[in-house]
Amino acid sequence: MGGGGPGYHSRASLARREHRLSQPETRRLSVPGTDQGIATALDALAEMVAAHGLSKAVSWPVEVSLDEVLANVVRHGLEGREGGSVEIELTLDTGVVPPFCRVVVADDGPEFDPLSAPEPDTSLGVEDRPIGGLGISLVRRLMDEIAYERRDGRNRLRFERRLVAVEA
Amino acid sequence: MQIVEDKVGEVLVIAPVGRVDSVSSAELERVVVSRIDAGGRRLVLDLTGVEYISSAGLRVLLMAAKRLKAPPAALVLCGLGPSVRTVLELAGFLPLFTVEAGREQALARVGGTAA
Repeated sequence: MGGGGPGYHSRASLARREHRLSQPETRRLSVPGTDQGIATALDALAEMVAAHGLSKAVSWPVEVSLDEVLANVVRHGLEGREGGSVEIELTLDTGVVPPFCRVVVADDGPEFDPLSAPEPDTSLGVEDRPIGGLGISLVRRLMDEIAYERRDGRNRLRFERRLVAVEA
Repeated sequence: MQIVEDKVGEVLVIAPVGRVDSVSSAELERVVVSRIDAGGRRLVLDLTGVEYISSAGLRVLLMAAKRLKAPPAALVLCGLGPSVRTVLELAGFLPLFTVEAGREQALARVGGTAA
């Protein structure tokens, strides 16, 4: 076979590159576990989406989900702790059709799997309607995939979606 | 988020513009509560300029609905874009609210002296 193998592989990877419109971009940021931190992260995602020429019409589910997840972490996980911080990884791939977005949120608060929370009852009237749990329920419904793991003493929530208009 | 307010007859129109998220919804809540506490009984929430709304914003809508439940008080939502409508629908909130397409229809629906 000689050098045939490597040659084949390099042609194949070249072909893969040529079929891509662009490479995925990943941005990592660390924000304080505060309202300001949430605003900074939402701004970063909005800016990234705009820089890639994507419309709010397809990006809003990820933006809503990031808000819900960060609000959970800040209000419940890191509540009252000095210097708590949240690591966020934003990946946007506009080289595929439809474009794809993945977010990973990691914090060093107490172990908590938001996916273990029961679904809220959305059939009750105004007076009895619970508001707790609604945020994560929205994230579940808006994302294609969502996964939690506890790793190295940190909570790590990954959620992702193909950026197409939502069919409610 | 910015908040634009208008008064049409006895009806107060509150229009948040931008994203109604877990941070900015506190400001929306402050404005809505203070207007209701000041005697506002007929309220239109015009959501035309809302980029997206998360559950913190839904909490504010629910709070306003509870406070304006008994007639002659009234709350009408209008200007729901696809993102706002989808979130309200997924949360099961649409049956809890009176929703009109635009501001004019909302003003007609909420009643009062505005003709």
